[in-house]
Amino acid sequence: MVFLQLFWTYFKIGLFTIGGGYAMLPMVYSEVVDGMGWISESQMLDFIGIAESTPGPFAINLATFVGFSVGENLGGVFIGLLGAITATIAVVLPSLIIIIIVSILFDKFIKNKYVQGFFFGVRPVVVGLVLSAAATVLFSVVMPNVDFTDLANSSWDINWASLALTALISGLFFVKIKGKRLHPIFFIVIGAVVGILIFGVFDLEKSIM
Amino acid sequence: MKNKDKKNSLWDVFLAFFKIGLCTFGGGYAMVSVIERDLVNNKKWITAEDMMNMLVIAESTPGVIAINSATFVGYKRAGVLGGIVATLGAVMPSFLIISVLSYFILAVQNNIWINAAFRGIRCAVVILIINAVIKLSKPIKKTWLTVLCIVIAFVLSTFLEINAIYIILGSGLLGIIYYGIKYRKMKEVPTETANQDEKKEEE
Repeated sequence: MVFLQLFWTYFKIGLFTIGGGYAMLPMVYSEVVDGMGWISESQMLDFIGIAESTPGPFAINLATFVGFSVGENLGGVFIGLLGAITATIAVVLPSLIIIIIVSILFDKFIKNKYVQGFFFGVRPVVVGLVLSAAATVLFSVVMPNVDFTDLANSSWDINWASLALTALISGLFFVKIKGKRLHPIFFIVIGAVVGILIFGVFDLEKSIM
Repeated sequence: MKNKDKKNSLWDVFLAFFKIGLCTFGGGYAMVSVIERDLVNNKKWITAEDMMNMLVIAESTPGVIAINSATFVGYKRAGVLGGIVATLGAVMPSFLIISVLSYFILAVQNNIWINAAFRGIRCAVVILIINAVIKLSKPIKKTWLTVLCIVIAFVLSTFLEINAIYIILGSGLLGIIYYGIKYRKMKEVPTETANQDEKKEEE
């Protein structure tokens, strides 16, 4: 039963991911984190970090991870692998089918006014949705007690250690070496190293907050 | 003889995409540039023009761009089976690596040092997601209509927590209605004129 849910959830996510990679995040939020509760928000963020530093598109990697953890919760490593296979196939299947059909009908598909109209509507909306995911994630790291659905009763406490690290990494983001931006893995490694120092070794959070 | 050739080319497709899947970190456009180097310039499986068409398709169909391009090139090279085999090949390396990693991550997630590292990594991920927003917004022409769409989607998703799928479906439907009225006399919208139209509106 859980496997059917896993398949259906990821089939939907695969079907509605338009614009690739990070465009999948809003759906993962609504369906996997809020909807099914299969992983927590912080598990999702941790895994984005891992997926960015391993080969392969991170959206597919995230599906494999969720499938694995759902399966493992049910009954160990083997069921976990089955879950990983289920979620990975489900997330790839919609686009596999659509691409093959579209490759056959290329010209008609691209020029069709309804197809064009659909994407005209969807493209900016995807930007808004990923922006929403970005805002949610930013606040969960910097001001963890803000609730967007209940702003009046939210606490606006700032986690200064996280804010400083986020600011440091966003500064590094603009650094260019030989005209090229630094690779995402570099930011992840910096995050991990500084994270161990400020949250592990010195435990800055308690002394500041 | 022909059958054997077909088997060989399917195997070639699988291997080529397995290698591409293994070597691309960060996915998306990273993989596209490797496909261009390996399969357009070196192996000449598809032409540069096919490659352009492929990008249009990969961007305007659901799914991850990297995988979509794999499916398309595989299909061009060896038909429907080729498409399936290329997709499998591209997904396989990360699937294997992530399955092994998932096991270890779930096992060590309560370790304080690992937790501290991940709290730092989350700060980096925030920046990466903000970067994705900037990248996604670049190809969109900024008219009052598109900016309004971005703002409405943001509000619906952030403050009302409406499921992203409904927002996407709704906006697609509105887009279809809008184009249906705007181009009611035409059957097809040539992509180039569609773009020129929007440019004129901007001016």
